[in-house]
Amino acid sequence: MTSEVATTLTVNGQDVRLDLDPRESLLDVLRERLGLTGSKKGCDHGQCGACTVHVDGRRVVSCLFPAVQANHRSVRTIEGVAGPDGRLHPLQQAFVDHDALQCGYCTPGQVMSGLGCIAEGNAGDDDEIREHMSGNLCRCGAYTGILAAIRAAAGRREG
Amino acid sequence: MTNAGTPRVGAREKVTGAARYGADHAPPGVAYAMPVVSTVGKGRITGLDTAEAAAVPGVLLILSHLDDLDISPAGYIMADGYAFQSLQPLLDDHVAYRGQPIALVVADTLVAATEAAGLVRAAYEEEPFAVELDADGTETVLQQEALPLPFLSDVVVGDADGAYERSPLRVDEVYEAGPQHQVPMELIGGVAEWRGDTLVIHEGSQSVGALRGGLARQLGIDPENVEVIAPYVGGGFGQKNSLQPHIAPLAVAARRLGRPVKLVLPRAHTFHAASFRPVSRHRVRLGADRSGRLLAAIHEVDQQASRHDLLPATYTEITSRLYDIRKFRGRQRHVRTDAQTPGYMRAPFEHPAAFALESAVDELAHAAGRDPVELRLANDAGADPVTGKPFSSRHLAACLRRGAELFGWAGRSPDPGSMRGPDGTLVGWGVAAGAYPAMTVPVLARLRAGADGGVLAEVGGHEMGQGITTALVRAVAGDLGIGTESVRAVCGDTRAVPHHLTAGAWGTNSSLLAVHAALRELRERLGVPPEGPVDVAAAVRATGAEEVVAEAVTQGPGQPPEAIDRMRAGLVAPAGPDYPDHVAFSFIAHFVEVRVEPAAPRVRVSRVVSVADCGRVASPVTADAQVRGAVVWGIGAALSEHSEVDPRYGGFVNADLADYVIPVNADVGAIEVDFIDEPDFTLNPMGVKSLGEVALVGVAPAIANAVFHATGRRPRRLPILIENLL
Repeated sequence: MTSEVATTLTVNGQDVRLDLDPRESLLDVLRERLGLTGSKKGCDHGQCGACTVHVDGRRVVSCLFPAVQANHRSVRTIEGVAGPDGRLHPLQQAFVDHDALQCGYCTPGQVMSGLGCIAEGNAGDDDEIREHMSGNLCRCGAYTGILAAIRAAAGRREG
Repeated sequence: MTNAGTPRVGAREKVTGAARYGADHAPPGVAYAMPVVSTVGKGRITGLDTAEAAAVPGVLLILSHLDDLDISPAGYIMADGYAFQSLQPLLDDHVAYRGQPIALVVADTLVAATEAAGLVRAAYEEEPFAVELDADGTETVLQQEALPLPFLSDVVVGDADGAYERSPLRVDEVYEAGPQHQVPMELIGGVAEWRGDTLVIHEGSQSVGALRGGLARQLGIDPENVEVIAPYVGGGFGQKNSLQPHIAPLAVAARRLGRPVKLVLPRAHTFHAASFRPVSRHRVRLGADRSGRLLAAIHEVDQQASRHDLLPATYTEITSRLYDIRKFRGRQRHVRTDAQTPGYMRAPFEHPAAFALESAVDELAHAAGRDPVELRLANDAGADPVTGKPFSSRHLAACLRRGAELFGWAGRSPDPGSMRGPDGTLVGWGVAAGAYPAMTVPVLARLRAGADGGVLAEVGGHEMGQGITTALVRAVAGDLGIGTESVRAVCGDTRAVPHHLTAGAWGTNSSLLAVHAALRELRERLGVPPEGPVDVAAAVRATGAEEVVAEAVTQGPGQPPEAIDRMRAGLVAPAGPDYPDHVAFSFIAHFVEVRVEPAAPRVRVSRVVSVADCGRVASPVTADAQVRGAVVWGIGAALSEHSEVDPRYGGFVNADLADYVIPVNADVGAIEVDFIDEPDFTLNPMGVKSLGEVALVGVAPAIANAVFHATGRRPRRLPILIENLL
């Protein structure tokens, strides 16, 4: 029996208080406790990137991130990317415009990783984008569309 | 057609995380399941200690063969059944392969279920097992004797052996590919829930009808009391084409607990919990005259099987038809091993078959001293060499010519090792062709036109990302002359219509055929002309009704009416490619540039041009994506994907996404896609053939041929690894 740990975190701007089993991953807490099912489980081992979210502005694979470690931190998921009026973020719109997806399962992770890639300044050229997006697997093989979407969104946002 | 580039339907839901996949469903009170799997390669369970597991707080139930689960066999999908294999685990003490489920733990929370599953202890009486084609203890059977069905008998046209022996130019080589796993990003799993006597399943599937029919058979309930809901599927590629054995036990657990139960299989389990592409070995003999004109071909295949099922093999269906070879002999055998039943993975037979044949054709071109494109064009077929029937359409030569032009093939220097990049890398250019049947299945389509001017299309098909809903919306909007925003398509939901399996690249053409017929019916009911734009709102209101409903069921040319009964029951019933008056195939040509580092010969695919003949392109945006994605698949299949077996342990040992290596973004260079886009009105009134599978066929041999051109070393086994080129 593991004792639970009181945890306070911010998710997409909302304060959340939870008593957590220290073994619970941030991914499982988002999906199973908070109903935020946009972040996907593709491996549970940090190998595929489908669960990518931002913690304090940095991209992390939430399946490897113990939820208790998010205590007093700010988490942003795919559900927090579009505007409150439902207006798509320019990168989301670029994913639509460049058909950067097929089945859509890896897409939330690709978008979160793409936002990180641009914010980190790693979207300078195509090879850099490819390299810094290679932690996110896409079995449908939408890689050329993902590259085009990030390139377009990065250009739109001065770098 | 209007709407030249209809954007992908559902893209907004997918980029915002709003799309709900099977395991995203979270009904109140849901419990969590976790399987326990066998750790021996074969044997019998002699003891199962669940005491420690049951003591974990939150554990609700542990199911195993020690219970009476009251589950009947669902039957093998290719033997009038529903399941990926005939074996249903958890019913007895027999272990057929490593990784077979032996227990299912259900708990209040996922951590409790996971902890408890790790505490279940099994004792086994082990038996010897075989997991490789050449291992002791395998059993080899001839397909045409073991599966005596006309379409599975050996293809024999004339005296191929005699013609081969007399041929002045001969190639005789052995090629090998596989095993491989589909690894869609969505893990296998979902939620089972009872609402009264009705079982509701949320699970990603390419065949909600098979889940419905199969679960009804397994649980002894009326199919009307099973609902399977899968509007989004996180990739299928054949893995989700049938009922998988985890679902019936999940339903039993949900019934016993009176709670919904969710199961998401760990990635490692998915390598044994569902099908995979079997290893196949191909001996190809080609006989030709001195100019490279093909006179004879002999294609003999050994394919891995399980002990309990034989996956019907059709490797020679395309190798006997890709060229005008007048003397052909095929032979397909099955080698029984101790694994789960292998099955369908994108272009299941055609990808390895094309690797073998198109590598051999490249070897022939090299021996004949002819350009590989020119040699292929010289061997193009007019009529089908197997049946003598015409092809419904065949534009392979156009694919080769256009591809060569787009690629700049004329600039190729023919000698291996003769091209170098500015950085000193070896450059290789390779070409290969592919073909895939254009099959047709029974589909029911229902159109609901509303007084608001909107049209809802309920269609027996599944959206796995290939773009079927985009093609359907586009077809309805285009026919009625209305905006695509006024049309919605519902797929993958047994509550709407019955569903045939969506696989074999027959989904889009078959469902468009049904929608085409339903549109004629709808126009009649609306009292509008058979063609031309329709003011849907006005036409519906004029009938005095709130909604006008039209329905149509279609099937393939020459199919008996029982095919529709099979579709309604969730069984498979494809027609083609050998139709009464023609044979129907899609074709493709791939041109590949590889760069090979001279010291450690790492291969990178820098550039690909693919030109497809899929009939009319039903949806340009999603069709383009299908081919691009298939090229990525081909890169993985050719250079990295290999499911490793270890004869000491059984099972697959590299069972995760770090060790089963699929391409990442940095592995993919430029991909250019083009379509011949000639409608095939012989096949159906929309002129649409097949695309999702043919797109992969030929990518791997084009890469292998490019590697030969770069290095002078001929790869005859997939994947092509650095150590094979040293």
